[in-house]
Amino acid sequence: MSDPINNREYGPQYKLIGKNYVTADLHAKVTGKAKYAEDFRAEGMLFCKLLLSPLPHATVKRIDAAEALAMPGVRAILTADDLPAPADTVTDNGTVIKASKWGERGLTMEPVYQGEPILAVAAVDELTAAEAIERIRIDFERLPFVVDPLDTLRPGGPNPRTDGNVWVSRAGRAPAVAELKWTDVDFTEAGYGRLPMGKTPDEWSYGDLDSGFRNASLVVDETFVTPDVSHQTLEPRSAMAYWQNGKVYLHTGTQSTAQTLPAIARWLNIDADKIVFISEYTGGGFGSKITGGVSMIIPALLSKKANAPVMMRISREEETFIGRARPGFQGRMKVGFSKEGRIVALDMFVVSDNGPYDAQGDASTSGHMVSLLYQPQSMRWRGVTVLTNTPPRSAQSSPGGLQGITIIEPIIAKAARTLGIDQVAIRYINCPEGKAPYGPPVEGKLQHATSAFLKDALQRGAEQFRWRERVARNPKRIGSKVRGVGVSLSCYVGGTTGFDGLLVITPDGRVRFQSGIGNLGTESVIDVHRVGAEILGIPWERCEVVWGDTSKHFPFTCVSGGSQTTHAMTRAAHAVAMDARRKLQEIAANGLGGKPEDYTVANERIFRKGQASGMTFAQAAQRAIELGGKYDGHEAPTDVNKVTKASVAALAGQGLVAAARDNYPRDGMTHSYVASFAEIEVDVETGKYYVVDFLAYADVGTVIHPRALGGQVLGRSILGIGHAIGQKWVFDSHYGEMVSKRFHHNKPPTILDVPVNMQWAALDIPDPETPVGARGIGEPPVGRACASVLNALSDALGDKIFQRAPVNADTILISLEAGRPVQHPLMAHI
Amino acid sequence: MPAFELFQPSSISDAQKLLEQYREDAWVVAGGLDSFDWLKDRIKRPKALVDLSGIAEMKGVRTSSEGVEIGAMTTLTEVVRHPVVREKYGLLAEAAELAASPQIRNQGTIGGNVSQDARCWYYRAGWPCYRAGGNVCYADTPTGRNREHAILHAERCVAVNPSDSAPALIALDARFVLRTPKGERIIDAEDYFIGPDVDITRLHILKPGDLLTSIRIPSTWAGAQFYFEKVRDRNVWDFALLNVASAMQVSGNAIERIRLAVNGAAARPLRLRAVEDAARGKPATSATGEMAGKLAVQGAVALQFNAYKIPLMRNLVKRAIGGVEEAKWVS
Amino acid sequence: MPNPTLKILGDTPKAVSRRRFIKGVIAGGAAVSSASYLFRNSVVHGVSGTGDRLITLNVNGQLRRVDVMKQETLAWTLRYKLGLTGTKLGCDRAECGACTVLLDDVPHYSCSVLTHTVRNEKVLSIEGLANEDGTLHPIQQGIIDEQGFQCAFCMSGFVMATEGFLKTIPDPTRSELAHGISGNLCRCQDYDKILTALMRGAENMRTANHV
Repeated sequence: MSDPINNREYGPQYKLIGKNYVTADLHAKVTGKAKYAEDFRAEGMLFCKLLLSPLPHATVKRIDAAEALAMPGVRAILTADDLPAPADTVTDNGTVIKASKWGERGLTMEPVYQGEPILAVAAVDELTAAEAIERIRIDFERLPFVVDPLDTLRPGGPNPRTDGNVWVSRAGRAPAVAELKWTDVDFTEAGYGRLPMGKTPDEWSYGDLDSGFRNASLVVDETFVTPDVSHQTLEPRSAMAYWQNGKVYLHTGTQSTAQTLPAIARWLNIDADKIVFISEYTGGGFGSKITGGVSMIIPALLSKKANAPVMMRISREEETFIGRARPGFQGRMKVGFSKEGRIVALDMFVVSDNGPYDAQGDASTSGHMVSLLYQPQSMRWRGVTVLTNTPPRSAQSSPGGLQGITIIEPIIAKAARTLGIDQVAIRYINCPEGKAPYGPPVEGKLQHATSAFLKDALQRGAEQFRWRERVARNPKRIGSKVRGVGVSLSCYVGGTTGFDGLLVITPDGRVRFQSGIGNLGTESVIDVHRVGAEILGIPWERCEVVWGDTSKHFPFTCVSGGSQTTHAMTRAAHAVAMDARRKLQEIAANGLGGKPEDYTVANERIFRKGQASGMTFAQAAQRAIELGGKYDGHEAPTDVNKVTKASVAALAGQGLVAAARDNYPRDGMTHSYVASFAEIEVDVETGKYYVVDFLAYADVGTVIHPRALGGQVLGRSILGIGHAIGQKWVFDSHYGEMVSKRFHHNKPPTILDVPVNMQWAALDIPDPETPVGARGIGEPPVGRACASVLNALSDALGDKIFQRAPVNADTILISLEAGRPVQHPLMAHI
Repeated sequence: MPAFELFQPSSISDAQKLLEQYREDAWVVAGGLDSFDWLKDRIKRPKALVDLSGIAEMKGVRTSSEGVEIGAMTTLTEVVRHPVVREKYGLLAEAAELAASPQIRNQGTIGGNVSQDARCWYYRAGWPCYRAGGNVCYADTPTGRNREHAILHAERCVAVNPSDSAPALIALDARFVLRTPKGERIIDAEDYFIGPDVDITRLHILKPGDLLTSIRIPSTWAGAQFYFEKVRDRNVWDFALLNVASAMQVSGNAIERIRLAVNGAAARPLRLRAVEDAARGKPATSATGEMAGKLAVQGAVALQFNAYKIPLMRNLVKRAIGGVEEAKWVS
Repeated sequence: MPNPTLKILGDTPKAVSRRRFIKGVIAGGAAVSSASYLFRNSVVHGVSGTGDRLITLNVNGQLRRVDVMKQETLAWTLRYKLGLTGTKLGCDRAECGACTVLLDDVPHYSCSVLTHTVRNEKVLSIEGLANEDGTLHPIQQGIIDEQGFQCAFCMSGFVMATEGFLKTIPDPTRSELAHGISGNLCRCQDYDKILTALMRGAENMRTANHV
């Protein structure tokens, strides 16, 4: 066992919750039988290849595909002209959100990044499609482009889109692209290596910042650059589509089965009931496959045009372009500390590299996370989301959280060293507790968290890591090797509310959970339903979870992103199990007399307290069908979503059909928290360093499935560590081309880049604002994992080594040589 | 990959006949790991692939009193695991074991490892640079991204040689056995590699029709004091930012004989003769190492993003002579 | 990523030279291959060299006759000709390990092996590991025991690499096994749990061998 604490029993009061078990998808995975999108075949299937823009920004003047189309085996070509008009979105309460004119459409006549798909060719095989692509002639007209956000903010700098360079938010409407230029004074005033702070479209603040800084014992003002990191799911976003009887059948990976359906409908501009979406196994998402995307609609439309199934295999290089990435930040923070180390004032300024398309929330989220995590007494946040001609971004595990935490953590580490305060102690006095407040203020009031037990996690983690012992290590240096230790905290939103649960108790006495969650490996697709089984008191062996195919009827489900699922869907699972229990009681009372509340549900039976008579689940399910109405799904609850209502109707008559909305109250916004500790060993003669020990201690509420939780805690930790030790993009800014397209260039961590034994543990303290007490875990581990490694490095080498991540041998050596950070301090994508 | 004809000759002479027949249209494949990148990226389009994996005479390690002879088609894994290589020429075993990944070492050959092409990301992505027959070096411009590139002997092209085994073989004074249309030719390891001043399109001297058939390591340096170090970003797959290999015979405390080479600094692995000369006769200490390290980087010129390579090379050369202190902490 | 036929109006010298260069290359080797995975329109030019495209492969203990293009990789043959889709393509460039299979017991990246070159070798893929009666291989069982892997797209590659490695070192330390499977990338970064599961698999194997 890698973690001694892991052996402890989670949730001793439960039979299923907090217990390890074998998930239903695992056998198919280990035998190679699990089918991912590219594993499907269809009769007469064509292959598709994309033609990608060689230029970072251009207008397509002419496409000549005659020669390609004349090739034997070439069946169809799809260009931007074939795309449906972008559809407006209608929210559940009927609000219409107009389709953005700046939105990504899949194929384009105005490519805004190098590698953007311009057209697609379908042919009988991939080789023919590839040859055909090479025979297509395109005339481009170059347009101005920019790959570094600061370059477009300069006076007279090029704009990445024809009508602007930044996203601005608009009250009550979707954000718009506008032009923003800073002044020469902004740039010169900042001085070398410091981020200029010009006008920003967005700003918020609370408390008295000025007096905070005036009274601070120490003020630290630092600039820091975080990397753009591709999601790089191991499964490229390949997709296969075919049409049958007016419906499109689409196979591809997703994080959120139920929610992907309306997204595809919007992209294709057709009704959702004309789409069957199959995604039983997804080869990783990390935020890049939350719902629909360009990779889904191209084969769908091409299949329609070619009148044959189309498989679009996405190559690793194409994945680099269309596969999404985290926005890098150029950030600056000025933090005032009291002599005890309490943060009294915090002035945060961030520039987020958004890529060319949809506005990402990273910039604003970074302020929210920093505010919650370190509870500054006064704070101002300013941010600008800048467009660039680089591949499109999307949320990536801890969007904004990673960047914000990575910018502030080295400052806290430096302040602790300056003030002579222990690194754990300074975090302990600043970190949130209970219903902790955070910005931005809403209607003049700070928001607050549902709960926070981070102080416990920090303290226990420090003990388990033997923090004091390691800090006191003497000597720190032997020969050319230096050891350093780092601690960091992080937090992230840990769940939403208001979704639906749906289950069927079948006449054979089994319980079938309808799961609209995507199966991307975190196992929440199955895990959350253990809550339902726990409440119904049915052995897990008598349960079945149905997932991954929208023709199987799912309830309204949250998107599996932003650490929502475990929280949102255990609530829904709880609600629907309570509905099922009530119905079982009513059915029993109806058949056997008495009042529903006289009956107990346990051991797969409904029986009267103290009496032998009762009925089995099987009998109750049969009886539900006889009763009809709300019992077998012929009537659905009025408060569930229309998606759930349709599924209830489709399942009607199969047994006892339970459906319910999560109407549980919640005071505050749910967040999860992690404390982490890292020790590194750096060789000052080569700049090479290793993370030798690592511990993550999580405050995620009730533990549902320990092994799956451990996978998330450490897996997301390594994603964060990857940001510290090597992951990045490299662009040639003159040509606007990415040069770091291969793994050995952009450096996803290997198994030998992390400690051979990593440790994790969870507090297992229930969140008081949710019935099961469980919160989400996907995002929270990422930021502090990155920061704890960076902090360990500065513990070993001092503060004058780096002001950007990742930190590699080159950064360390060259800075040690010069005695100051000398790596281009602000330049993006190096 | 675009279509090609595939040939699998079973003898060196059959292979030569094919190379003679197809000339510029032929592409020699050893393990294939370098080749398939070019072919899959549709940048190189040979008509005929000549796969050497069926040639038994090019495989395996033969030992004799004079040393070992390693067939060019011997896999890196076989080299790493060979008991005599491990025991007497551990420098090579160490270097080969640090190449790429286990699967690549299971398939990649010693001949392929020393003959692989440059990994400059501009060149490998098909930019029409000097090395590709064009007239620009994209890595050496004001905006060129050149963290992995050369600090020494750059001429027009700033790409570096990526091989890990090459410097070890130079340090071991290996001989490379070539089969050319004119017959067998045996050369010093050092002379196998060429810089852009000799030919900007190749990293080695093989001309179309030539084959590297085996590598002979003389017993001269068997059991000598060896040092190998590779510095890379990730601990699997990645090419060396720099590596260093040295073989020393130390008598008393004085360096009696020494050979030392680095790779990743220039388009060819560099044997540092001046360093060897300066170190000979001196004690194998870090003081000598420091002197040697400073000498090694004389004339080194940094590009915009690779200045770190100068102290890195200096320190690696220092260690290759003076060694490195073991650091052990109790966790 | 240069494409020769893309014309850029008002071109810079760089784009001109790139275009010219690639044109030259194409002129040399632009033969069209339409050989399909289903052999529609098979246009094979100049069959010679190793002879027939129809070859016999030894896959998972069975001899399989299969029509294979000369430039076809083993991963493609397994997935698209033999229906063995448990072998995954994650990068197609020998950089991720998802396609790892054993050739005569030795782990190889099947994306980087030409199928024609393994006619005389025994190919073992993930589908060949479990017993015919469905009993899982001890390594597979280790994964079940420990809930190893998240998305599992990398899983078959890791399992095959482990199977190959354990033939050389059956009783590895955690660190040795990590080195043995280091040619496999997991993007869920579930390395710790994977290593625990595969160590359990190694233990299962030793137990099974001693029974």
